[in-house]
Amino acid sequence: MEDEARRRFLGVCLGGLGAAAAGGVLWPVYRYLTPRSGDEAGRTFSMAEQDLPEGAVKFFDFAGSAAVLVRKKGGELVALSAVCSHLGCIVQWDKARMSFVCPCHGGQFSTDGVVLAGPPPRALAKLPVSVAKGVITVG
Amino acid sequence: MILLDKLYEWLDVRINAREVVARELTGYLLPRNINAWYSLGSVLLFIFALQVVSGILLLIYYVPDADKAFTSVATIMNQVPFGWLIRMCHAVGSNMMVLVLLLHMLSVLFMGSYKRPRELNWLTGFILLSLVQAISLTGYLLPWSQLSYWATTVATNSVGAIPVIGQFLVEFLRGGKQVGPHTLGRFFALHVALIPAGIAALIGVHLFLLKRTGISSPPFGRSDTSNHWTGESYHYEKHPGGIPFFPNYLLEDLRSISLYLAFFLAVVFFNPYVFFPSAAFVPANPYLTPAHIKPEWYFLANYQTLKIFPSEIIGLAVQGLAMTFLALLPFIDRGAERHPLKRPVFMTCTVLGLLLWIGLSIWGHYS
Amino acid sequence: MNYFSLSKKNGMFVWTLCILAALTVLARPVPALSAENEIVCLQCHANLPEQYSRPVALWRASIHAENGIACNNCHGGDPKDMADAMNPARGFLGVPRQTEIPAFCGRCHVGVLKDYLASAHGRALGKRGPTCVTCHGNHRVVKASLDLINEKSCSSCHSYERAGAIKAAMQATEAMLLATDMRIAAYKQIGADTDRLEKGLFATRNRFHTLFHNVDLTRIKGETAAIRAEIQKIDQALARLDQVGAQRRKAGAAAVGASLLAALLFHLLRKTYR
Repeated sequence: MEDEARRRFLGVCLGGLGAAAAGGVLWPVYRYLTPRSGDEAGRTFSMAEQDLPEGAVKFFDFAGSAAVLVRKKGGELVALSAVCSHLGCIVQWDKARMSFVCPCHGGQFSTDGVVLAGPPPRALAKLPVSVAKGVITVG
Repeated sequence: MILLDKLYEWLDVRINAREVVARELTGYLLPRNINAWYSLGSVLLFIFALQVVSGILLLIYYVPDADKAFTSVATIMNQVPFGWLIRMCHAVGSNMMVLVLLLHMLSVLFMGSYKRPRELNWLTGFILLSLVQAISLTGYLLPWSQLSYWATTVATNSVGAIPVIGQFLVEFLRGGKQVGPHTLGRFFALHVALIPAGIAALIGVHLFLLKRTGISSPPFGRSDTSNHWTGESYHYEKHPGGIPFFPNYLLEDLRSISLYLAFFLAVVFFNPYVFFPSAAFVPANPYLTPAHIKPEWYFLANYQTLKIFPSEIIGLAVQGLAMTFLALLPFIDRGAERHPLKRPVFMTCTVLGLLLWIGLSIWGHYS
Repeated sequence: MNYFSLSKKNGMFVWTLCILAALTVLARPVPALSAENEIVCLQCHANLPEQYSRPVALWRASIHAENGIACNNCHGGDPKDMADAMNPARGFLGVPRQTEIPAFCGRCHVGVLKDYLASAHGRALGKRGPTCVTCHGNHRVVKASLDLINEKSCSSCHSYERAGAIKAAMQATEAMLLATDMRIAAYKQIGADTDRLEKGLFATRNRFHTLFHNVDLTRIKGETAAIRAEIQKIDQALARLDQVGAQRRKAGAAAVGASLLAALLFHLLRKTYR
């Protein structure tokens, strides 16, 4: 009976130690596998203004995902996320219609990112864009 | 607790789990005089599992490309959170695996457990040792440091001493005339796919053989220490009245594993650099051989043997003979006696052999 | 027939090439025994009388020799051609005149030349002022250090007082640079990412070195203070590394302790099963 009590006590101690050890192993592994935040934050994309004439688009990588710059007729600049709000495919530029088409399920977006047709539930996210001294900067 | 009991019950009515537990765990009886040396096998299993897990984690960030390998390892060491810990565990663990494997072999040698009918256990164990050396050697190249590069150059070069096909073999191993990107590709495949699979399979065979023949009893603490196996028919070595594997010996295994962990973690946290000369942190440069390139400690004796013989082929042959002799030991040493002190010739040879190995290693280290 | 003999000749040629190639490959493990044994300057001068052979011995102990800067890199000429080695047509320059020395050395040490010419020493060039070799010596040029400012050298032209003050002002900074350099090297040895620190220290060291040819005490004092502040920034980064190391050792001690405790508990639990 004395053994029984002793076993229970040691079992509890070992259980506690085991839980601590599991934490000590899983925490480093979790941190190791977690992408480091702040890696892509604060990064901007810039290009020369003259490289983007009216009616042209420029796809680029922004904060780890695809984005696009459009110069609308009349010269207005718009920067959008190129990730379709439906299922996450990358929208393509349809120059003839001056709109974006998602190749996956035919979603259509205007140059402002507004949904024109198809299944997308939301507009494309707008990104901040500015122009200074002939250089376009997104972000 | 009640939930666990219910789950066990649920399993039991389906697969008769109680019978498996009774046969393999609580009813699996081990000799009463079993000692701590018998737990080294479990320690090795634990180390192997740790190597597999840490290796898989390293694969996430490691890039097996000669131009990127070194930087990727440096990133793991300096940028990835806890990358240093996982890398150090893997690198130190490989050394520990060889060390514990050697201790395991020595205990089997001294207790005469390799003797018939356990020749195949010894043989599979010996092949496992070779595979562990091979996985260490191939893993050594992957960080693509000066140390990696030149140690691999020296190691693969020694194969060239084999007459006729030597030069071909060297080029085949390297995938080219020199160690280069192609060598990295094939060593990577060997290190992460082929050899680990081979080791896992052989561990299976090793354990299967152990279970079929039954565990040997240590020759200590009893009057009759000779081997009674006659070789006429299959005989499972039972230990009636022995201690159960579960929980008794499993706790001893866990105790040994915990002690090993303490030692291992002490090296990992306090001085992993015993295994890392500074050349390990310089990127490989095929045009600059660093001075004093030495292989890992467990290859030092082989390295020195190659150096002391006037021709490499003799050195290689001597090593080959020694290895073959060791591999075939149970077929050569057929005496029935198992107690080390009652085997004076064996003891003298083993101790001298061990001293020779240590001496050659030290000589190799300082030469 | 003609065609055949030609191809035979070609065959011979190919064979010779093969053998040569094989020889080159075989010879490669023994790296070319550094440039010095190839150049004729040394072969000849080493056997000439003292006056001409001395530079060879002096040069061998120099930082130039260490870095593979040979005779011809300064004196010109053709180091591969025994007969024309000292032919001016092959660019041989010979020994520079006293006033030409700064320009001679300054072909490589561009920044230093500028600093020197702007200093009181440089302005006195040709007016019994010192040239490069006055302090650095010729041929046996060693790595520059503050030891070059010493009573013996300086007082051969003027009193040591001001030079001593300059040296004292620079010594603390030099010691800091050396100490930080050693700490970075120690971290590099164990695989820490010291790239940024090394670059920072390199830039700071260069800034410090531009002071070496300046003899303006107040400017030196101001600059060295600024440089010491820079080094302190690097030292702070190193201190952070020290801190991380200490944290890791603490975690390690806990892990080792926990393992030992587990071993003890398993042992005690084992004892309850007899």
